[in-house]
Amino acid sequence: MSGEPTTGSLGRSVRRKEDQRLVTGHGRFVTDLELPRMRHVAFLRSPVAHARITGVDTSEAVGTGVRVFTGADFADVELRAQSALPSYVETGQPVFAHGKVRFAGEPVAAVVAADRYRAEDGCELVEIDYDPLPPTVCAWEPPEEPVHAEAPDNVLLERTFTAGEVDETFAGAAVVVERDLVTNRHSGNPMECRAGVAVWDAADRRLTFWNGTQVPHIVRNMIAELMDLPEGNVRVIAPDVGGGFGVKAVLYPEDVALCLMARAMPGVPLKWTEDRAEHLLAATHARDHRYRMRAAFDGDGTLLGIDADVTCNVGAYSVYPWTAGIEPLMAGGLLSGPYRLAHYRATVRGVATNTAPSGPYRGVARPASVYAMEAMFDSAAARLGLDAVEIRRRNVIMPEDVPYKMPSRLVDDSGHYAECLDKALDLIDYPSVRAEQERRRAAGEAPIGIGVALYNELTGLGRAASAGPRMPFRTGHDACTVRINADGRVTVFSGVTSQGQGLETTVAQIVADGIGVTYDDVDVRIGDTDASLWGFGAFSSRQAVIGGGAAHRTAQAVQAKLLDLAAGLLEASVDDLRVVDGRISVVGEAEPRISVAEVARVAYLESHRLPEGIEPGLEATRFYDPIRGAFAAGAQVAAVEVDRTTGELTILSYVCVEDAGRAMHPQIVDGQIAGSIAQGIGGALYEHLVYDTDGNLSTGTLLDYLMPTSAEIPEMVIGHVSRPAANPLGVRGVGEGGTLGPNAVLAGAVHDALGIEIDTLPVSPSRVWEALHAQEVRA
Amino acid sequence: MKCAPFDYVRPAGVGEVVTTLRQAGGDGKILAGGQSLVPVMAMRMARPSVLVDVNRVPGLSSVETDGDAVRVGALARHALLQAQPDHPLLAEAASWIGHTAIRTRGTTGGSLAHADPSAELPVVAVATGATVSVAGPDGVRELDAAELFTGMMTTSLADDEMITSVRFPRPSRWGFAEFARRHGDFALVTAVVTEFGDELRVTLGGVSAAPMRAHAAEEVLAGGGSARDAARAASEEIEPTADLHGSVPFRRAMAAEMVRRALVRTGVEE
Ligand SMILES: Cc1cc2nc3c(=O)[nH]c(=O)nc-3n(C[C@H](O)[C@H](O)[C@H](O)COP(=O)(O)OP(=O)(O)OC[C@H]3O[C@@H](n4cnc5c(N)ncnc54)[C@H](O)[C@@H]3O)c2cc1C
Repeated sequence: MSGEPTTGSLGRSVRRKEDQRLVTGHGRFVTDLELPRMRHVAFLRSPVAHARITGVDTSEAVGTGVRVFTGADFADVELRAQSALPSYVETGQPVFAHGKVRFAGEPVAAVVAADRYRAEDGCELVEIDYDPLPPTVCAWEPPEEPVHAEAPDNVLLERTFTAGEVDETFAGAAVVVERDLVTNRHSGNPMECRAGVAVWDAADRRLTFWNGTQVPHIVRNMIAELMDLPEGNVRVIAPDVGGGFGVKAVLYPEDVALCLMARAMPGVPLKWTEDRAEHLLAATHARDHRYRMRAAFDGDGTLLGIDADVTCNVGAYSVYPWTAGIEPLMAGGLLSGPYRLAHYRATVRGVATNTAPSGPYRGVARPASVYAMEAMFDSAAARLGLDAVEIRRRNVIMPEDVPYKMPSRLVDDSGHYAECLDKALDLIDYPSVRAEQERRRAAGEAPIGIGVALYNELTGLGRAASAGPRMPFRTGHDACTVRINADGRVTVFSGVTSQGQGLETTVAQIVADGIGVTYDDVDVRIGDTDASLWGFGAFSSRQAVIGGGAAHRTAQAVQAKLLDLAAGLLEASVDDLRVVDGRISVVGEAEPRISVAEVARVAYLESHRLPEGIEPGLEATRFYDPIRGAFAAGAQVAAVEVDRTTGELTILSYVCVEDAGRAMHPQIVDGQIAGSIAQGIGGALYEHLVYDTDGNLSTGTLLDYLMPTSAEIPEMVIGHVSRPAANPLGVRGVGEGGTLGPNAVLAGAVHDALGIEIDTLPVSPSRVWEALHAQEVRA
Repeated sequence: MKCAPFDYVRPAGVGEVVTTLRQAGGDGKILAGGQSLVPVMAMRMARPSVLVDVNRVPGLSSVETDGDAVRVGALARHALLQAQPDHPLLAEAASWIGHTAIRTRGTTGGSLAHADPSAELPVVAVATGATVSVAGPDGVRELDAAELFTGMMTTSLADDEMITSVRFPRPSRWGFAEFARRHGDFALVTAVVTEFGDELRVTLGGVSAAPMRAHAAEEVLAGGGSARDAARAASEEIEPTADLHGSVPFRRAMAAEMVRRALVRTGVEE
């Protein structure tokens, strides 16, 4: 019945739908919104990490004519992230701190004024008295005073993953590698910080919330619940969003505050644009972890067992709605990566501290866990005199092992790791890099090292593998509505969201090919909960698989109706019809018989021509849930030069090969991979959120928090292995994989070049220099 | 991150700038390129009551050769210093300041007055023995760059004084080396070597409250010592402090390495 499109758009790098507006400065971001009577919000934030609030005085500020809201105003509203895991200690996050503050930067009040300047003037006049409490900054030091009374030891969740016989395995191992690894707290830092505009329509009791979020439907659901509103009366609009990376997949107290304040000020739109200082201070952080790793190997480098203890600093609050489990559980579930492993014990815990909450950040925990795992191979290879590549080959999951049940009981359906590795080694020309390394060693020139990482990226999780730690919802499905309009053009209302990933483009490609119309005839609307039925949004590399799957299923449903109608009009058998590029033809005939536009006109305007039994209209809505997930294989290899005098690294070449399954838009796929590697390099070499012992953020501006610029990011070579996944489009997610490699690759390269083990990230010049210095002292 | 309220004036001449500053009674601030002042105002760490915008004051934006030196107007932008051919050391140093957008706005006078211990131009000013012309209520005075910098982001300028130009002598040979985390960042250490007559000077930025001459290193060189020996001497005579980017030993080592590189670039034997 369906046509084989001869000129489909999938698989080609068609011009992106969003580029016209984004590259000409016509993007529509929340901050661009100007509404009549709009007022501006500034949040007053705690200057201390941990303290009891002993006094709040707003009189002076209120005296200047601004409106002030404090903790007492919304004390009855609390964000409580829920999980059914037995060890989980549920805690609450207030809208504005009251009673006590738990991290420096936590909102304690808000001022509403005619503009942001005046709002900040007002904040200076609000008096809050603090009675300091001892702060906890480091998650692996015992607290003097717990962050939450419910968790006296600050542990919000702990779980042990076990498989096989760990103690016996270690007792009999030829080699046991042991390392304590600490990864650096950093964050997503999208170019656009957080932003919101909320307006309350008192007559209809309706709230409209423009929010730079990755998850508008989740936001609507949660805001309605927290404010006790009918869900249909809440409209969340995520217009153009300038990057998210997970930071914007969270519902924040500031978001809820904006909506609550808007309800208290009917008809007055309230706008808040987060600045970078606020973002660094109070948007979610990530990757502040310690891995105590032991690995057992036999004499030929076969991995026998892993015994790990993982502590994740989850900050002051269990992030809403993902919980404090998001990083520790991901670390424990995926630590063994794409390697065969029978004996496994990993205790993971999420520990609260007086620092900003940690939340999802592109790659969630795995940039750290891949580093920990690959460090085991690098150390074991050095001990056994094996090549770093060879030891990985001996242990990696192969296609014949698939489906492979990991020791955490996740099922790996990929197995294409060795293929990715081989291609990466070809692209970097591994033998010649090794030869150059030798030559330099002999000549006494600047040393180079080669770093290698293999990883499995769990993407497109369906209900059986759904992201998140047993929360009261499952994120396995998305919806899509496809409408062929009366002129034959197509409007899609998709549940996906985009923060720059080009989802309008990809969804249009899927729908165009799924119906048989041209890409240019498809227009995609996203990010408005009043327009699209349902979508969980952007996280866990899920949208190509799930939102894409929904678009595909819906397009097929609409095509079916289109062809039924056409068959009636043409008095042909539906099985003989094909639709290509908006024209419908009968098999075996040279010329098309009728256009999609003519059929659509009948569907809406010429009911007298409607065949018997066919209703007007050409529209369908479908959901898709892949049930399981699709593992995406990846390999990264880099050659790195080290300056022995300064400890600086120069990346000479960086290669990544991933299995994206079927690449729907090759340029977008490469963009995702390049961007995530760049973020990974930032985390590996530069980005570090540092707190002093009092809990003050020392890296509060981009002067001290070092983001990589294009000057720091090397040319990359990106290669592909295309093994279609078992879903309707054959795709695997590619949004996060790139971030998984760089920590392991760059620390591994330094190890390879100089024989020094980098156990604490980032791999900064001073760290490399100190390690070299210690090595010289030992020698 | 929005400034506290302030008044704004845009005088047309140096005299008016000085008068306005004097009337502000210590509470006025000159606005030049704004690249240092505006961020600290946005953080409300600076709260001048009057901002005196000098960008329209004529005649302060050029770079001119003046005998064996170049005279740089206070409003000459870093980008202009980078592009001019007459003082290659100044051009090299300017190319290390921030990024294009910052170099297009930031000014020579602003950089010297701001006196950031990690900034490039103050180091070059001390290394070349620059003379700074300063306009005040009693007319124009001239002072040595070394006398301008009195400590961490502090200068000997009075509240109602304005730098009008700086005269940078041209060294016969020079070498520049800088260590920063990313290109365009403030330096962890800047080393500038300048030769005037038969004297080799070693000047360091980023390792103390203000740019400093490494006298011990200079003595090593005067005694015919190698670049490595001088570098070691320099690293021992400084008192760096540990920070996010490294320990004291690391910073000493970076200072030594930058001095060595600057000396080698000058043509001194390793
Ligand atoms: C992202 C970024 C990166 C940067 N990186 C570097 C770097 O790597 N190296 C570096 O050196 N600088 C760097 N800068 C600072 C930049 O060079 C500034 O331009 C410079 O420090 C100040 O010059 P300005 O003209 O912008 O001065 P302004 O910001 O306008 O003023 C700075 C101070 O000087 C005073 N002032 C200005 N002009 C005069 C004058 N003629 N007489 C007396 N007082 C005056 C002002 O009142 C104020 O106190 C960076 C800035 C930014 C924003």
